[in-house]
Amino acid sequence: MGKYVDRPRYGCALGGALSLLRAIPRAIPIIHSSTGCGYNVYNGINSGSAYLGGGYCGGSALPSSNIIERNVVFGGEDRLREQVETTLEIMDGDIYVIVTGCMVEMIGDDIHSVANEFEENEKPVIAVSTPSFQGNSYTGYDMVFSALAREYTIFSEDKKENKVNILGIVPGEDVFYKGNLKEIKRILNLIGIEANTFVGEGETLDDFKNAGNGSLNIILSDVYGINTAKVFQENHNIPYIITGFPIGYLQVEKFLYEIGEALNIDREVIESVLKKERDIYFDYFERITDIYNDIDLQRYGIVVADANYAPAISRFISDELGWLPQLAMITDFLTEEQKKRIESRFDNYESGLKPYVGFDTNASSVKKYIRKVWKPDGNERYYDTMGPGFVIGSVIERDFAEEFNYPLLSVTFPVTNRVIFNRSYVGLNGALTLTEDIFSMLVSGR
Amino acid sequence: MTENKIRQIAIYGKGGIGKSTTTQNLTAGLVESGKKVMVVGCDPKADSTRLLLGGLHQRTVLDTLREEGEKIELNAIMRTGFQGTRCVESGGPEPGVGCAGRGIITSIGLLERLGAYTEDLDYVFYDVLGDVVCGGFAMPIREGKAKEIYIVASGEMMALYAANNIAKGIQKYALKGGVRLGGIICNSRNVDREFDLLKAFAKELGTQLIHFIPRDNIVQHAEIRKKTVIEYNPKSSQANEYRELAKDIEENEMFVIPKPMTQERLEEILFEYGLMDNIEDDYRI
Repeated sequence: MGKYVDRPRYGCALGGALSLLRAIPRAIPIIHSSTGCGYNVYNGINSGSAYLGGGYCGGSALPSSNIIERNVVFGGEDRLREQVETTLEIMDGDIYVIVTGCMVEMIGDDIHSVANEFEENEKPVIAVSTPSFQGNSYTGYDMVFSALAREYTIFSEDKKENKVNILGIVPGEDVFYKGNLKEIKRILNLIGIEANTFVGEGETLDDFKNAGNGSLNIILSDVYGINTAKVFQENHNIPYIITGFPIGYLQVEKFLYEIGEALNIDREVIESVLKKERDIYFDYFERITDIYNDIDLQRYGIVVADANYAPAISRFISDELGWLPQLAMITDFLTEEQKKRIESRFDNYESGLKPYVGFDTNASSVKKYIRKVWKPDGNERYYDTMGPGFVIGSVIERDFAEEFNYPLLSVTFPVTNRVIFNRSYVGLNGALTLTEDIFSMLVSGR
Repeated sequence: MTENKIRQIAIYGKGGIGKSTTTQNLTAGLVESGKKVMVVGCDPKADSTRLLLGGLHQRTVLDTLREEGEKIELNAIMRTGFQGTRCVESGGPEPGVGCAGRGIITSIGLLERLGAYTEDLDYVFYDVLGDVVCGGFAMPIREGKAKEIYIVASGEMMALYAANNIAKGIQKYALKGGVRLGGIICNSRNVDREFDLLKAFAKELGTQLIHFIPRDNIVQHAEIRKKTVIEYNPKSSQANEYRELAKDIEENEMFVIPKPMTQERLEEILFEYGLMDNIEDDYRI
């Protein structure tokens, strides 16, 4: 029996594939699918990811085979071949990646053999099957990323000490991906690690090509990027660790020690870095303590987000903002094993508190969970409302937030009500920005 | 309603059971008695009208569509065969590429747009490839197309197994549309107690054995000469068998929603009827 999803928070696998390619400079996607797939997917990604735009070769200018009925009946390989030829002629790029929609996968077009015909081409042409009946946009990210790791990344026998690759931040689906990668790169650099984040500022296809000399892959996610990391392990002999997504000083501290242990970095080095960063961080943080106490800015926190953000933000608002975390709803499709791993991230808060953790893909379920954590108003003489509250989620939570009269800060896909460039919510600077945004909303009426 | 006048019939059955041969000979029997018939081959191999045309149809609907696009005349894809029979072959992609099922949907759609279903037709036969492998091959029995289905089978285990499977498909479509099973046509393979077995099988399905066509080598002779038996040797007893079949179908009034059986029940019937006690362990053919 199938199940419906009330207002999904992701696109199709082709969407995830295109978002990743959108983030790689001079990577040219070639969609092999019917007319409309590219544009629909672009529309979803562009607005949901706080206006990512089409870039050099994306959006409504995506090369596509636009197959028609005749191609379905007789096979679309000829059409694809023609599309690859014309794309090579017109689009100046450094890699050409064929990605597929569902119908060509159903009729079984052999895209790999078409790609192989262009083996002699100066720039590589690779093919990746990205049918959406195999998963959503997060799957699409892993499909393309692992294909690049398998076919494009050069194997390197010599691993560069303290060079790591960063996985698990999905461009587009993480609307802050670029800022987040920049911050991760910065904090790792502080303890002497060279981090390749693949699609960060200033990074190019060469960073994909040369990822094979990394000595460790760090996955900042309990779900995304793991399949890619496995390909790196198998094909490039690079081990991986899963760290989760660190937001705030306490989480960064744990993160750096974890990485330090994996790479045998002197604990003292990390300690001295942390001391310096702590001073900077709390020098800013301190600024809100007066107003926080004067007008009582403690809130009941409700977090509705993906598997990366939900555990990290929930812990942050509890342990650093001193809020009362009530509910954390994780909106991805997850296996039982993944749920177990994520659930453990809600244990042992410094505050001693623990939010109710719900795994649910439906927007309307938020209220159901609220009912579970808070006694409903039964017309008693004195009723304690769950307020004041604050929702950190996506624009999908707007109705719920309005109904309960809670402010809403949209941080996870879809974020159509903000324009996001380089800000970050991860690490230390990201946590400061997140704090700025949260408290700006609370003082905006003053 | 002129559309209701045309009896649209789909013939299904296991691959190699003799659907095309039976359909064409049956068609010959019908046109001989003055009926107007169109045969639509729904098999990528495009060999469903060979006997009526005296050779393979050279221009399938899909070939024409591919080469000339949709702006074509009906006569570009329709050939006239034995005594005015109209013959169309859907055709399909090369083996191993594309989607033949979608091809059937496309070509039937095109036939409708080009006005192939004229009012003067009495019958349209759809000769569909062996197993109904996907939705496309069920196109002829969807809403508004064939309302009657006949399954060609023999006393062989796998033929009955396939027939039972096809009945499951018919049941599915019958419940939401108007399609009904008209009966089982036995194309004999001379296996033990074949007539009894098929009769029992048909009864269990809730239908009838509409005709039992005996095995006769004349069919093979006629096929080699690219002719139906009726054309090749009109006086032969086999020609009369096909005329009988045509008459039975013409007069058929028994249309049912089949009741497909479980594998166990099917095997029980085979066990009950499919063995002759007196020739046990005698495997001569």
